[in-house]
Amino acid sequence: MSFCETQQARIAPLWDRMLNHPFLLQTRDGTIPHETFASWMRQDYLFVEAAIPFLAALIPKGPASHWEPMTQAIGALIRELRLFEERADAVGVEIRGSQPSFTTHAYIQFLLATAQNASYEEAYTVLYAAERAYHDSWKMVRDGLDRSSPWWPFVENWAGPQFAAYVAYLEVELDKLAAEAGPDRLHRMVEAFETTVRYEVAFWEMAMTGEGWPGIPSADPALS
Amino acid sequence: MTFTDELYESARDLWDAQAAHPFVRGIADGTLNPAVFERWVRQDYLYLAEFSRVFAWAAARADRLESMGWYAAALHLTLNTEMGLHREYAARFGISVSDLERETMWPTTRAYTDFLVRTAADGDLADLVAALLPCAWGYVHIARKMAAGERPADQRYSDWIEQYSSDEFRLAAEWLRSEMDRLADGSSAAKRERLTHLFVLSSRYEWQFWEMCWNGEAWLP
Repeated sequence: MSFCETQQARIAPLWDRMLNHPFLLQTRDGTIPHETFASWMRQDYLFVEAAIPFLAALIPKGPASHWEPMTQAIGALIRELRLFEERADAVGVEIRGSQPSFTTHAYIQFLLATAQNASYEEAYTVLYAAERAYHDSWKMVRDGLDRSSPWWPFVENWAGPQFAAYVAYLEVELDKLAAEAGPDRLHRMVEAFETTVRYEVAFWEMAMTGEGWPGIPSADPALS
Repeated sequence: MTFTDELYESARDLWDAQAAHPFVRGIADGTLNPAVFERWVRQDYLYLAEFSRVFAWAAARADRLESMGWYAAALHLTLNTEMGLHREYAARFGISVSDLERETMWPTTRAYTDFLVRTAADGDLADLVAALLPCAWGYVHIARKMAAGERPADQRYSDWIEQYSSDEFRLAAEWLRSEMDRLADGSSAAKRERLTHLFVLSSRYEWQFWEMCWNGEAWLP
């Protein structure tokens, strides 16, 4: 089995829990409350924004053959931001100027700390795990969501053929990186994969519960 | 009023909440259940390794030799002295070195250390100092308040207070405060606002760290 297949199998129960999260099930069935989905949009908008410096920081660390695909991936993130803005305007949600919840903040710090501090292989693992998680999650939603739903463009974005090809490319490249990695690095890649998926689960959970920051409401965590 | 006085005022609610936190009060009066305190010993050990990394970034970012030398010394003290003391201290709670090494970060430890490392890597030296100050200064602030009162009967808690209220830690916190004031001197209002955000955010994480140790924490699900 390849590295990616092995990781997927290793955390299968966690992956299943992610795919069967009430946020995704209710989005698929069209029963998700408008404000719950809006809350997710605000938080994911912040996350997509932060993914730009994450990818940018990886470019000088990676092989030259990755530079162009990585740059294209940044372009795709910018198009995702426009998609969020367009959908938000269409349904009357204000997504600009939102503050990150604790989970969003933590996940963003994880991305950016990994980009700066961990090996390229670990950071690439995080990238793959996050993108694969979104692809699979939105494929699950696609299977039941009505095409007239205002949320359908998100399905088209992450469950569509272009994103599928991108995830497949990442998988091939990550498997190559893993094949060259020594045991210590490989161990860290395994940890990075699991931590990313844990954050993905926590992100759906945060979207569902509308979680902010624990305790002390008066202090301002306004920094992503 | 110095810039660090202003920072303190900005985060005062969070600092007061820390001093009043049941975990902190439990150390002060010695009533904290050692099984609960052990959480701090384990998680703080992981925290210190990343905190050391932040000092390493600071040495690399330093704009003058005095600062570079100070950060290098702080790195050495944290990584080789304080973590060594931590291992000895952990043994008094029956926690072996291999237990410490095997421990995994809980979500708050993970988020806080990623925030520090990310800020150290992406920001400038002033950003870095603003983010690490609530830990370095906050522990001294809390421990000195405790030291002014009666010492707890449990020697392990008494030693904790002794360590963090010592002159060594106090001087380190004072140096970092003066460094922050120096770095913020003449900076724009926007820069000061950013530094204040970083300081408040780390102060919030400090409070959350006590909360995590008090309640226990786990990853979902």
